[in-house]
Amino acid sequence: MTQPVNSSLSRRDARRREQVAVFSIAKYSFVISAASVQEIRNTDSLGGTVVELNHPVLRKVRHIVERDARSYYVVSGYEHFHLPPSRPTTVLILRDAPVAVLVDRIEEMAEMRVLLALPQSFRGEERTWYRGLTVLDRKVLPVANPLGFLTARELQQIEEQNPGLLESASMRKERERV
Amino acid sequence: MNAETNSFVPSFVVFHVGARRVALSRDIVAELIASPFQYSFPHTTPLIASVVLRRGRIVPVLDLGPGILGAASPPARFFLVVERRLSNISERCAIPVQGECELVAGMMLPAAGQDEFVAGRLDLNGEQIDILDLEKAIGASAKMEEGLIPVAEAKS
Repeated sequence: MTQPVNSSLSRRDARRREQVAVFSIAKYSFVISAASVQEIRNTDSLGGTVVELNHPVLRKVRHIVERDARSYYVVSGYEHFHLPPSRPTTVLILRDAPVAVLVDRIEEMAEMRVLLALPQSFRGEERTWYRGLTVLDRKVLPVANPLGFLTARELQQIEEQNPGLLESASMRKERERV
Repeated sequence: MNAETNSFVPSFVVFHVGARRVALSRDIVAELIASPFQYSFPHTTPLIASVVLRRGRIVPVLDLGPGILGAASPPARFFLVVERRLSNISERCAIPVQGECELVAGMMLPAAGQDEFVAGRLDLNGEQIDILDLEKAIGASAKMEEGLIPVAEAKS
């Protein structure tokens, strides 16, 4: 006879799960929702055109990359998290923001089962950087907020100082395709 | 005086931060944990050295050394888990402590020194031990650490 399903296990299984990519920058690992990433590319194989910003207003953003008729601000992961310079080999092209994030490497794809709130004792930029914390392989890892790499205010700042650059890069690419 | 024999006398947990012996009200001390695994990640909040995972909860580790000693505490094996009051919520954090902790009962006497994070003092067999105001001690440590480290990065 089939044993009834253990209620605690079924409750555990019914919890919302999320596919995530685990990436590293310098000596730290981070998690990001796979749904928020459109592409993960090696920086060498990215192709497309890299355009330098006329007026870089943020240390972490100096270039735009064009990809499939869309343009993205390239955010340096180590500058974003205030880490020592690292060697980015991978770029995460985000889905819902005009942002491509340079990271050192992808460690793995995994399933996130729990998202814990960042304790209130944390009061700094990390409240924008992270959606919360998770536990993977018995390690506590921060879950990156895809909209935290460039906030609406930072986007506005860049666009004010480099008017029309993002659109013109996309349009140029589109014309080339036609 | 024994803490368990007189429930009308307040109790305090006496512990070491570096070489300095201080006390906290027993009411805000949840537990003492030994050698927890610590995790660190980038952040910009002063004072938080790492976090520990305790009973499914994330507990930030706050070093009181900068405020109390004027320098970071030496590496610790034991951590005192205490309850912080943050506006309208309470949250647990872990304080690295050196050596043994004691639970003692006694009356809080007026503070003698100038440190604003000292709420009072305890006379323990002639030894005067400062009783900390936890939030002020955290504030003083954070202020001190902010001055010491221009770019805050989680310690590993």
